[in-house]
Amino acid sequence: MSIIKTENLEKIYGGKSKNAVTTHALRGVSLEIPGGAFACITGKSGHGKSTLLNLIGGLDKPTGGSVFVGGEDITKLSDNKLSELRAKKIGFVFQSFNLLENLTALENIQTAMLFAKNKADKANELLALVGLSDKAGSKPAQLSGGQQQRVAIARALANNPDILIMDEPTGNLDSQSAEEVLEHILMLHKSGKTIVVVTHNNELARKAEMVFEMRDGRLLT
Amino acid sequence: MNLFKLVTSNIFRRKGRFAFTLLGISIGMASFVALLSIGGNMQSAVKQQAEGLGANFLIMPENICIYNQMAIVTGETISELLQYDVYDSVKDIDEITVIPHLTQKTAIRELPSVIAGILPEETLLFKDWTLAKGEYFTSQNGNAAVIGTGFATTRELNAGDSVTVRGEELTIKGILTETGGNDDMTMFIPLHVAQRIFDKEGYISYMSAKVADMTKMEFYEAEILSVASVQVATNDQLLASVLSILGSVNSTLQLIAGVALIAAAFGIINTMMTAVYERRREIGILRAIGGKKGFLFKIFLLESGLYGFLGGIVGVVVGYAVSIFAAPIINRDELSMLKGVSAQADIDIHLVVTAVGVSLLISIFSGLYPAWRAAQLTPMEAISS
Repeated sequence: MSIIKTENLEKIYGGKSKNAVTTHALRGVSLEIPGGAFACITGKSGHGKSTLLNLIGGLDKPTGGSVFVGGEDITKLSDNKLSELRAKKIGFVFQSFNLLENLTALENIQTAMLFAKNKADKANELLALVGLSDKAGSKPAQLSGGQQQRVAIARALANNPDILIMDEPTGNLDSQSAEEVLEHILMLHKSGKTIVVVTHNNELARKAEMVFEMRDGRLLT
Repeated sequence: MNLFKLVTSNIFRRKGRFAFTLLGISIGMASFVALLSIGGNMQSAVKQQAEGLGANFLIMPENICIYNQMAIVTGETISELLQYDVYDSVKDIDEITVIPHLTQKTAIRELPSVIAGILPEETLLFKDWTLAKGEYFTSQNGNAAVIGTGFATTRELNAGDSVTVRGEELTIKGILTETGGNDDMTMFIPLHVAQRIFDKEGYISYMSAKVADMTKMEFYEAEILSVASVQVATNDQLLASVLSILGSVNSTLQLIAGVALIAAAFGIINTMMTAVYERRREIGILRAIGGKKGFLFKIFLLESGLYGFLGGIVGVVVGYAVSIFAAPIINRDELSMLKGVSAQADIDIHLVVTAVGVSLLISIFSGLYPAWRAAQLTPMEAISS
């Protein structure tokens, strides 16, 4: 059974005024991703990959169509319900890490736990999982790119979500760090998480069970 | 990690901005506390001094202005005078005990000093004074004086010492026991000596009077007015008119404090709006990982409230420090109509709690709009900014 399903997703960016310039980012995208799958969305820049990912993750609202997560149409959820969904069922990893700069690695993970009212002591286990136990008290500026992304992965796992959504997780990393992050992604896939990744990294795409290629806001496969 | 830790880590992140915003609200609250404290203390000091007069009512020159009425309460010199004959006329009215005063100002030991010419025997009976040191004086003593305790302390005078007033030497016979009123800060000399020294022969400033039955005030007033052209005011009436002046002074002080607080409130709004703008990305991250609108609203409102709480505490401390230092300066100000009021800055717990509460309320109110703006940002808007 699919854990993620989209139906005729449309997304148009731009103002509502008469002379506003609009961009048709998604044009009728329908896809299904089964629970526990490792799916990649590929394609050139500006063809709608990240837009699709943001709609699946409930970070943005579509102009038309539906997104089902765990069988529930999330386009119909209130803002608070959508926040709860992001807190408990979906973990996000971004290309630019998006850690809170004034908090330590451990506190970044604990902050995510606030939103699902989880016990903060699990944060240390997650740091150990990504091999950064010794960096618990370090702030993002004191960590390398690869280390920051591993903290971001640990934060995404803070509330033990079913789905992990990653937007170019290796995009800002050198090859060695990218490899480390890739290993962690594969490890998470083996543990049963559903993983949806937008990437230009061919190696990452080759390891995926499902690949969706996008062009001009449409799915090619 | 909890909400409070998240808030404090944000607020202390930019130490310079934190310090300047805190300074703004602290200065606002300090002026609020200092001005209210000074105003409140002036009122209580005037009440205490009016009680210290020890009279039921005062007989003053006709059409005396309110500032001169205030001068009587605060023990100052008044410009309008009464003929001494009026005392002779009034003192014989039944059931009224009356004593005359001629208050003048001079410098003794380089300090501005109030000298009151009195009838020693009558005044002693009227005021129930006792002596702390030395002995009392009589009209026959000539250039003799008794002084209040405060007068003695501030000028380092003792019984037996001499002082020179307008070229005449006066011997201090004794020091009065503390009364709590203006008498503590006054030098008393025989009336005829005061009239001679100050060139006011045949004149007095005002008279204090006691009556057997206060319910018959209207009757006594009619009796007095039938023999003399004077103005009569009960102690309470006098106090009420003086307090009405202080009330308007207080209103002005409160208005100034209010303006300072409004300026502080805009300082907080400005800081919080800047914080919302600068931290758009952070807001987006928190929203993306599950933070609800209400959570973001709370973060910014708590930050704003923390400014108010800390600013309130700093403001109360600074405000009291200012009012403690300002009290003697107000006393020394020769041009101030409030001179002579011993404005001591007493710590008023009610004012402390009110000040911190007001500061907190203002800052929370100031934080409402920025917090609302923060909560309205969508995750995508904020992250992509």
